[in-house]
Amino acid sequence: MSSSRAEVLLWAQRVIARKAGPAHALLELRENCTPEQAQEAFHKIARTAHPDLHRSNGLTPEEIEMVTSAYAVVAGAYMTLRSQTAQTTRMKALSKDEPVPSAPSRPTPVPGPSGRTPPAGVPTAPAESTGILTGEGQAANPTQNMSQKALNYFRKAESALKRGDLKSGLLQIKLAIAADPSSTFLRNAMAEVDAELRKGS
Amino acid sequence: MGIALGIDLGTTNSCAAVATPTGVEFILGQRAERVHPSVVAFPSSGGVVVGQDAKRFRLTEPQHVIHSAKRFIGQNIRAPLVQLALTGIRYKVTEGPNQQPIVVVRDRRMTMPEISSHVLLHLKRCGERQLGESVGDAVVTVPANFTDAQRQATKEAGRLAGLNVMRLINEPTAAALAYGFGRNQDQLICVFDFGGGTFDVSILRINGEIFEVLASDGDYFLGGDDLDRALAEVLAAECNRNLGFDPRQHPVLMMKLMMGAEAIKCHLSENDAAEGEIDGIDLPNGTTGSLPFALTRKQFEDLIAGYVNRTIEVTKQVLMQAKLQPKDISDILCVGGSTRIPTVRQRLADTFRREPNIKINPDEVVAQGAAIQAGSLSGSIIAGTGMGTRDAVMTEAHSPLFFGGAAPPKGPLARPVLLDVNPSTLSIQTAGGFSERILDKNSPIPIERTRVFTTARDNQTRVEIACCRGESRRFAENEPLGALLLEGLQPKARGDLQVEVCFRVDADGILHVKAADAASGAQQEARMQVFGAPTGEGGA
Repeated sequence: MSSSRAEVLLWAQRVIARKAGPAHALLELRENCTPEQAQEAFHKIARTAHPDLHRSNGLTPEEIEMVTSAYAVVAGAYMTLRSQTAQTTRMKALSKDEPVPSAPSRPTPVPGPSGRTPPAGVPTAPAESTGILTGEGQAANPTQNMSQKALNYFRKAESALKRGDLKSGLLQIKLAIAADPSSTFLRNAMAEVDAELRKGS
Repeated sequence: MGIALGIDLGTTNSCAAVATPTGVEFILGQRAERVHPSVVAFPSSGGVVVGQDAKRFRLTEPQHVIHSAKRFIGQNIRAPLVQLALTGIRYKVTEGPNQQPIVVVRDRRMTMPEISSHVLLHLKRCGERQLGESVGDAVVTVPANFTDAQRQATKEAGRLAGLNVMRLINEPTAAALAYGFGRNQDQLICVFDFGGGTFDVSILRINGEIFEVLASDGDYFLGGDDLDRALAEVLAAECNRNLGFDPRQHPVLMMKLMMGAEAIKCHLSENDAAEGEIDGIDLPNGTTGSLPFALTRKQFEDLIAGYVNRTIEVTKQVLMQAKLQPKDISDILCVGGSTRIPTVRQRLADTFRREPNIKINPDEVVAQGAAIQAGSLSGSIIAGTGMGTRDAVMTEAHSPLFFGGAAPPKGPLARPVLLDVNPSTLSIQTAGGFSERILDKNSPIPIERTRVFTTARDNQTRVEIACCRGESRRFAENEPLGALLLEGLQPKARGDLQVEVCFRVDADGILHVKAADAASGAQQEARMQVFGAPTGEGGA
């Protein structure tokens, strides 16, 4: 059943040390694992390292806190893997009729690679505005990180979607993804439009 | 160390239990009732009366009897649904600090957690009397889709009652735990929890001792109270037609109609028609009249069809979220009093093409699950001995753990592990009014996830991280949770500064947000201060 005090502490230390690393490593999996493998690995960890199992295991409050945060980090990694693998599966299903680049295996989506000048026409807050919703102080818009080519396609997609033309909107988004395969924002947008199309048909 | 209780703090009724070696022992009231009405009365004669006894004051002084406090706990009083619910109650509620609802009884002003703490204290005292030991710890259940503020307020209620709330667990998960604990099977179940004020559906996979919630959704403003109100409105219209005056302005009378409606509703669950009279209606001309009524089950079903449709719609959505078909589900648990309504059960059976499980007691199963979790967390459930260490005395309060003739467990019982989920997507605002997801709906808790964001403009020295919950990609369409300000950043070109935003949802389902600038080391940490949440040290 649950592992011993020493084992779980060792595991927690290992997880916290690797916290910034790729998600699959935290679950001790290979890079291109399936959703089932991710679930199985997470269940295995839950069975041995879930903080509730160690509450009366002779751990100090600080040690329980450490196990809890290690477990929380692994849960976050599991979610990252689950959403990535779901997206990859969806892309594969779509690419049967149209060529779409396969999803890149980036551990965590990092909106805003540093150094790139945002293209013109990106929605940002006007300089003089203040207040909660605008203000000098929002994190960057995901569209800001797209390449210019991808952004052009995305704008076309937007206007197609505004017209209510879901099909060509989807096509434009796919073209945008082809131009900038690293954008999670685009892939989420594609999944949304795709779901919308399926609902309609 | 005292005993750890499992408490189901409900809208209409509450229930408490404790784990013993052979099953679960319920905490009984003075009349040996297992189910305690969540009613708190402040009668003119003085004092505070809770439970069954408090109900008696509903007709004599309805303005001093607080019921359904769970509908308002941790809520913003200005929310439209709260305003609607306020039309159904006869006690006085005003706006307090932080837009939280405040109950006013004569000259006393009380917060909703204070009201709920009276119910918890009552259960604690009943427990101490029955068990002969002090009760220090508790596991309290909340609806799965309760917000951060509602959870914080519930914890606060426990604190005010002198209880150490070890954990808040979700009601459907607790029900699943009571159902599946010790069965040692691998199955998919659906928990349909339709209570007095809230509605939840969860799909769980029970695999041995692991209880994993696959998807969960619901409506914290949909319950038996709404059905009563719909029926009371019909009765009021009837009264207007027959007796020639509108009772809607008279609190005592409206309360009488609500109680009548509740009784008719329960009667129609057993019978095809309800016919009778509501007596003792004081007419404005000084005489007392009575209101005859006749209602068939079909008429009642038509009246509540809208509410029932909504529950079925949500159930189908949850199935979709779990990526499952109705045929994959091997059992459907009916939890909460409103699942006694035949049309609700019928619609469930139609949806799943399988009869729902009605062997479990819909009023008690949640407290039973909470007791198991309390026993497990306090370490009193010991593997190999069955259940808790408390000596079992078979009493009226005693309930065997295994329902419907399920075989008793073979071999030692493992500690159950609950893998619960957070009920809604949590995001932050990004430039252009978008919301960028950090934690998805239905992620396992406790969970921690960090994402890196950059600034939108050159030489930005402060960043405001506004958080929201909801599924929309537009920030404004989601429910705001609060904001965190990160100041003292080094001026840099836009896109060069990296801000790490870390969301952590703890095992109680409460969100903690942390933002840090890697370069300057500036760091801000906060638990979201939400509208309607208790203020001051109580919220910390």
